[in-house]
Amino acid sequence: MDLEADIVVIGGGMAGLVAGIRATEEGMKTILLRKGQSATAYSSGAIDVIGYLPGGTVPLGSPVEGLQGIASMFPFHPYGLLGFTDAESGTVSKTIVEKVRTAVSWLKTTLLSSNMPLFGDIDSNLDAVTVLGTVKPTCMIQETMWPGSLMLDADSVALFAGVRGLPIFNPRMAAQVFLEHQISNRLPPRKAGYHVLDLAPFGNNHNISSIEIARYLDNEDNLSVLAKTLKKQADRIGATHIALPPVLGFNRARENQLALQDLTGAYAFELLSFPPSVPGLRLQRGLETAFVKGGGTLLVGHHAEMDSPKSSIVKEVTAVGPKRNFKISTKAVILATGKFIGGGITGTENGIRESVFDLMTVSESFRIATSAIPQKLTNTIALSHMGHPLFGSGLSVDPQFRPITKEDFHAAENLYAAGSILAGYNYPAEKSGLGVAIVTGYMASRNAVDHVKGVSA
Amino acid sequence: MAKYDVVVIGGGSTGTAVARDCAMRGLKTLLLERDDIASATTGTCAGMISSGLKYMDEPDIVDMCSDEVVYFKRIARHIIEKNPILTPLLEMSDISSGGNFAEEYSKRAETRDVPPVLFLTPEDSLKIEPMLNPDLIASLYFEEYFIDPFALCMLQALDAKQHGADIKTYCEVTDILTKKGSITGVQYFNRITDKMESVKTKAIINAAGPWAHKIAALAGAKLELRLNKGAHVILDRRVVNVGVITKAIEGRMIYLFPHENTVLLGTTALDTWEDPDTLVASQDEIEYLLKSMEWVIPSIRDARIIRTMEGVRPLVPTWKIPEGDVTRGYEVIDHEPEGVSGLISFTGGKLVVCRHMAKAATDLVCKNLGVEAECKTHIEPLPGNSDDVDILALAKEYGVSQHTVERMRARRGSETATILELTRNHPEWKTTICTCEPVIEAELRYAIRETFPQTLNDLRRRVRLGTGPCQGTFCTFKAASILAEELELSGADFQLEIVDFLAERWKGKRQSIRGEQIAQEELAQGIYACVGNLDQALEELDYDLKPWEEVL
Repeated sequence: MDLEADIVVIGGGMAGLVAGIRATEEGMKTILLRKGQSATAYSSGAIDVIGYLPGGTVPLGSPVEGLQGIASMFPFHPYGLLGFTDAESGTVSKTIVEKVRTAVSWLKTTLLSSNMPLFGDIDSNLDAVTVLGTVKPTCMIQETMWPGSLMLDADSVALFAGVRGLPIFNPRMAAQVFLEHQISNRLPPRKAGYHVLDLAPFGNNHNISSIEIARYLDNEDNLSVLAKTLKKQADRIGATHIALPPVLGFNRARENQLALQDLTGAYAFELLSFPPSVPGLRLQRGLETAFVKGGGTLLVGHHAEMDSPKSSIVKEVTAVGPKRNFKISTKAVILATGKFIGGGITGTENGIRESVFDLMTVSESFRIATSAIPQKLTNTIALSHMGHPLFGSGLSVDPQFRPITKEDFHAAENLYAAGSILAGYNYPAEKSGLGVAIVTGYMASRNAVDHVKGVSA
Repeated sequence: MAKYDVVVIGGGSTGTAVARDCAMRGLKTLLLERDDIASATTGTCAGMISSGLKYMDEPDIVDMCSDEVVYFKRIARHIIEKNPILTPLLEMSDISSGGNFAEEYSKRAETRDVPPVLFLTPEDSLKIEPMLNPDLIASLYFEEYFIDPFALCMLQALDAKQHGADIKTYCEVTDILTKKGSITGVQYFNRITDKMESVKTKAIINAAGPWAHKIAALAGAKLELRLNKGAHVILDRRVVNVGVITKAIEGRMIYLFPHENTVLLGTTALDTWEDPDTLVASQDEIEYLLKSMEWVIPSIRDARIIRTMEGVRPLVPTWKIPEGDVTRGYEVIDHEPEGVSGLISFTGGKLVVCRHMAKAATDLVCKNLGVEAECKTHIEPLPGNSDDVDILALAKEYGVSQHTVERMRARRGSETATILELTRNHPEWKTTICTCEPVIEAELRYAIRETFPQTLNDLRRRVRLGTGPCQGTFCTFKAASILAEELELSGADFQLEIVDFLAERWKGKRQSIRGEQIAQEELAQGIYACVGNLDQALEELDYDLKPWEEVL
């Protein structure tokens, strides 16, 4: 055997890293395999817990409200599963809320120690503003992305500031969309303007990426020129708030935010954006730092190879890397390989498959999907509040988050699954992606740790 | 009320060719298109402009096609490419059918500037195309021309415009006005102004393709068509070096053609009575094509399928024979004998003969109107065809990649320099908006200003925006904001453009969704639904369900 571990985590996105960090906190020797870049790194960095009920069209005032709804209506939703272990009537909803609260608060504390302060909690959803100028409900965002009093203060004025040659953000259209939305909802601000900055980071004037600007602004000296123009433009329209694409830096984002406020007199914040996403990468880095600091071993560029678990216990995982393979002996495995982006689930004309263990897959409504044609799990409408059932397909798990077989029995007693590989929820529509990842990663890890401790005892 | 010598109905390859011919002959011409230029049958074809294996028993048609290729090479060389094609022969019986084709093809090879058909050994065939099934016993090698069908229609429309024609897109004909059996005018609904409008005319040319019978009916005339559906599967890259033609499971010929940055696998042929707007490729059609091509390209299923596309052929109405036996010629029908004077309709035809069809109809209109003017559509070049384009020099001068400039040249020809010149004052317009194709911002701005797109989908037809593997995942919102700025759209209409574009892309992506394309779609959903929250905006935006969409 090349390596030994108590717990092997397969997958290095939010669910896998949460599971891995928790395992190291419990004193487990933990090895985490990350194949490539995770979907978490591509995310906007906003931590959704639940923004809409499945199929719902009314934004939820708070995740708590949504979790209560799920507790009563969607028992097989990953959040619903949290209530199964305490299935006494009347306490299911409370159990679910408390478990989510525990996991989410834990994450907030953990990331704070990695110098990544988060804003928000599960008692209310925040209105986050996107680079399109649209508004979406989310649970927590990085402090640099919180729009402050912009949508609360009756006298607020927003300046949307883009960068010439950065195509991901058009400040003119974003300002227009945002203002139309706020006015139709009778909310501030009542005025918004826009400006296009000539920043030319590292001398580039076209094809600029937000990552490039973030690196540029990580150098303290580069902020002052930007601040000077922003101040002039903010003064021009009397802006109280400045909406920027998420480019404030990888290491100095918060310092830059505060410095901009000092230098311009307006409150600057970052908008939610699309890949490549600086806040998504910041989140990924923050989590990895916490994992490694806690003593975890991170094998980047490695994926896991396994036969379908023939015995009732997984004792060994092969980590396949670019140069060599490791055989890792382990007492428990947490499968957090993601859905289609992560590669945990794949779909062909022959069916929906789980890619490491060839576990049984199910559709969003828990029909066996191992031979389902992907197209049949989609709707004719591209974008709708119903989403596509295809993206709610994945693994069916028992209340301990162990994948189950056709016979309704766990595939292996020490194999757990977490994150978007799970079936039964549709994160793009519900706005629940990272929340489910955090909570199921947290719970799968707890169950795996309990199993290992039980085994060693 | 405006008055025209002739009104052309339909903005496909035939309609735009007719408008161009009429305008060039000095007729006051109006073209009415209910959607956008090349948005139906023409926009879903493979762009092949040559003599196919299919039509060898119609030598007159083959002659006509051959001549038309020579004309296209003269008037539109910048949007034409020549592709080598292999027909692998796997069984002895395949060889006998190849002989007749080789003879007919080779007779006309020299005029089209292609070599005669060659029979290749398996070794030589595999050298040219290593992906072929190594069990082949021989192959036929020949060369065929392809044209960008969107660009052709657009250039014909623009050229018509330059010769004084009015081109109106998003104008759907609702009535044809007649008096005592003669055409007097056309009434149409203008979807841009939301108003009914009408014009006077004595001549109408009905080039409405699969809707031609409905147009004829508006004037009380009868027209029969045999409508036939054809579907393509589009692969994400050039998985083959050359085109491949082979027999499908029931013996029809199907093909795998390199097409721009992609490869087209097509087509199916199914008689159809459905509304062409609602049609999508079926699971059976996709599998039929894959299974049929698998015999000669065994690795075909490893390729990433990005989408399907489907169109309807308005065939000459001949019945009780297979689709493949229906003539690829065309008919020009003067409805005068049945008591509707001034209305001329088409049935049949194909892309390569669109100019020929236009000439025939325009000759007839001129005769009816007593106008004497010569057809020059085969002599006068289309816009952008005037000069050669020095890719290397332009790329260097403007600091844009050679690949980007070459792709722009393939769409724009000699306008390339004009577009690049825009980046002198706006260096940020060198930014790549669609990275699959690629398309830079300057070309988008130029296309919006010069080629009258109303929607992002129109812009796609003009610059191939969002037609690559990512199918608009990364370019839709960027391009929408540019369109919104140029057309001064409201915030709501800007969002609607995004949703409409994604809806149209999804129509083709959905039918074949599998493999990497599912991950791609998860990313698209992540961007536009999860982050952008546009999935929750449909009601607020007054989104109209598309014809192929069903209520959830």
